[in-house]
Amino acid sequence: MGETLAALRVGFASALTPVHLAWALAGVTLGTAVGVLPGIGPALTVALLLPVTFTLDPTSAFIMFGGIYYGAMYGGSTTSILLNTPGETASIATAIDGYVMARQGRAAAALTTAAVGSFVAGTLATIALTFFSPPLASLALRFGPAEYFALAILAFATVSTLLGGSLLRGLFSLFLGLALGLVGIDQLTGDARFSFGIPQLLDGIDVLILVIGLFAVGETMYQAWRHGQDDTSDVPPQKLTGMSRDDWRRSWKPWLRGTAIGFPLGVLPCGGSVIPTFLSYTIEKRLSEAPDRFGHGAIEGVAGPEAANNAAAAGVLVPLLTLGLPSSATAAVMLAAFQQYGLQPGPLLFASRPDLVWTLVASLYIGNVMLLVLNLPLVGLWARVMLVPRPLLFGGILVLASLGAYSLNRSMLDLVLLFLVGIVGCAMRMYDIPLVPAVLGLVLGPLAELQFRRELAISEGDLTVFVTRPICVGLLLVAALVLMAPWLLRRWKPEVVEAPS
Amino acid sequence: MNELRLMAPAAPGGGWDQTARAMQQALQQSALVRVVPVDNVPGAAGTIGLARFIGAERGSGDTLLVSGLIMLGGIVMHQSPVTLHDVVPIARLTGEYEVIAVPAASPFHSLREFLDAFKARPESISWGGGSAGGSDQMLAGLVAEAVGIAPHRINYVAFSGGGESLSAILGSQVSAGVNGLAEFEAQMDAGTLRALAISSAERLPGLDVPTLREQGVDVAFENWRAVMAPPGISASDRERLERTVDAMVHTPAWRDMVARYRWLDRYLAGPELARFIDTEEQRVRGILAKLDAGHDRSSTVTSSGPYPLIVLGGVVVFGLAAGRSIMRSAKTDARGGPFPRLGPLALMGVGIALHLLMLERVGFVGAAAVLFWFTARAFDARHPLRDGILAVALSIGSYLLFARVLQLQLPAGVLARWL
Repeated sequence: MGETLAALRVGFASALTPVHLAWALAGVTLGTAVGVLPGIGPALTVALLLPVTFTLDPTSAFIMFGGIYYGAMYGGSTTSILLNTPGETASIATAIDGYVMARQGRAAAALTTAAVGSFVAGTLATIALTFFSPPLASLALRFGPAEYFALAILAFATVSTLLGGSLLRGLFSLFLGLALGLVGIDQLTGDARFSFGIPQLLDGIDVLILVIGLFAVGETMYQAWRHGQDDTSDVPPQKLTGMSRDDWRRSWKPWLRGTAIGFPLGVLPCGGSVIPTFLSYTIEKRLSEAPDRFGHGAIEGVAGPEAANNAAAAGVLVPLLTLGLPSSATAAVMLAAFQQYGLQPGPLLFASRPDLVWTLVASLYIGNVMLLVLNLPLVGLWARVMLVPRPLLFGGILVLASLGAYSLNRSMLDLVLLFLVGIVGCAMRMYDIPLVPAVLGLVLGPLAELQFRRELAISEGDLTVFVTRPICVGLLLVAALVLMAPWLLRRWKPEVVEAPS
Repeated sequence: MNELRLMAPAAPGGGWDQTARAMQQALQQSALVRVVPVDNVPGAAGTIGLARFIGAERGSGDTLLVSGLIMLGGIVMHQSPVTLHDVVPIARLTGEYEVIAVPAASPFHSLREFLDAFKARPESISWGGGSAGGSDQMLAGLVAEAVGIAPHRINYVAFSGGGESLSAILGSQVSAGVNGLAEFEAQMDAGTLRALAISSAERLPGLDVPTLREQGVDVAFENWRAVMAPPGISASDRERLERTVDAMVHTPAWRDMVARYRWLDRYLAGPELARFIDTEEQRVRGILAKLDAGHDRSSTVTSSGPYPLIVLGGVVVFGLAAGRSIMRSAKTDARGGPFPRLGPLALMGVGIALHLLMLERVGFVGAAAVLFWFTARAFDARHPLRDGILAVALSIGSYLLFARVLQLQLPAGVLARWL
């Protein structure tokens, strides 16, 4: 502990030099911008910047990369909340209640809770990264395919909170997503499934195409259809002031819980922030005194997932720095950058280049503060987007959605799919079929199937592994708890409500 | 050259992407080429990028595709309609050896012990590595064949990406791992992985890892990477590309990059390259056919089993059930309000259709402006002229932001000369 603090102090001394501060500022600014734009993520940005940073010393470069990485997580929530267009998978959960809040005139409050929550989660997670990296990383290694399968099942259990009014319609939506998840190469065998001989489909359907199509395009079409019906759905005047006292009271616990969920899950290389953000959303809804508010503009539904996604982003750095394991696209690019500088990222990095690692860690703290200072004043400005007249706003949303979808792979097929999905999304809205289960089906279905079969391959077809590995069993039990929570809470509710807060 | 565009048919961070970015730096630093944009087109072992490259770049003399052994594997695995015969090989650049390693806690201390267990009961040994049909699985197949075990009996567990497979190996989730030397080296130095064998023909200087050959397994194997030009380019364009790449591999900047990434310099150009690729293709086809030999056996362990059927069944069952509940609620609901106007939706549909038709023909600016204007009309915008000006301004603004500032290629179309 003492050693860590001393090392961190040296790191801060180096990170607080004007040059390094300037690079951190450049990184977080760029990262925020990149996060706001759909279709371009931090991985591509860092890759684009590699040639520019090659002439810098590695410390400056990594300070900037760290800033971009954290900044993108801050910026990602903006388009989710304002335009219902998540640019990254990490901000899908944010869109559910965030966009409703924006349409209720509370965009500023949603953006503020996202920014402050990101700051709280980012800082707490960076503290955890500072002190607990090695034990956490070795814990992560105990996760095999069986555990990841159990984790996917746990995430499936969260779908139960997102089904909406009708169980049947929710399950229909879920299975639609699962079916879309079948498309593409079967990773274990390399065989193509349901790709109908179209090469672009070999890689599967990008979850962002589904999300932007269902959310942004579908919503725009639905609004156009309703437009002929009634003109009362106009956006009420925006309160540009941010969070009320009540908002703060309702936000701080979700921030902390989101951090507690997001950080450990970020350490696991299980692919993205979808699981932590939706777990956080589910837990907030389950613990809420008024679960009915969720989906209708509950600030907890923005605060929790946003904190979870930033904490997970910090968690990803744990295996990268301690073990040299890249568990996200950005981490993979940063790993390549380490190699480009002739550094060997791996178990020995802390020992061989403590100056670089600790300066990077210190700059993550500084970057978080910068991001808060940068983003809070922007909230008022962003919230004004909602004051744009409806025809222009929806025109802009469609252009942005199309731009985002096209720049993912620059494929016309993606764009055609986007608008087809949009039509489906519009129809689903008309008939009250919830959208989010489809998204989770597409993300989780392939994950669960792959890990299940991977474990079976390793165990030579022995199904008992799923009930003999302790972590796996533990996760499956938690999944069962999540499913039964409404029933259990109904029995215990009196105590829960009266517990001192 | 003024501009040389590189396509990396993989996501940022992988070997092909690193190759493209290393070339980008070497070419720009040595002033051989002024700008070198890199375009990532990931998916299906590079075959999606290959198809795009052949389709969109035919005849362009200023672009190269990064390719290699893994793409050959992908072409065979995914029965790709386009192959490396459809592109013009310019140069092989680098090579990388593969390593077979076990976690520090593994009971296997030598390749002999490991292979004895493998020969005794092949299915009980799980091999973790990269995507199915890639270089890692190829090496596993070659080793199995050399020790007299049918390659299709290998219990190969494919992972996507280096991080996923490395963590499974370090955590002893699989018996052994196969990967490139660069990916394993840090772990070998730290003592968390024990290398059993390397796929080079000779021992590498400064690396205390025995080769497969010296341990009685007659296999030498190397994962190579190369660059290709699109079909239909002129002889002079081809010569210019070859000259540029030849000049690049002799720059100190490129040598530096090769050393930093711990690649092997495997520069090869000219007619020998075409022969090399043909030989490699035969080899890849042979080994993949053997890996695949028992593929359709009834074993449900690796085949996808009933899952797709369950999912499709679920869609049908819940779709019908949801449909029924919708019909019923529509009847009891009987809101009976005025039927919504379809006009706005139709207007948007026109905008979307025009947008899709125009994007790659007329260019992004025109297509986006049309989409914006029609959508605004659908919401009863009352200022068609003002909206038109706004639409064009917004489109030009986002085009410049994405294409110029962020260097993401958007179709410029008819405005290419002015933007």
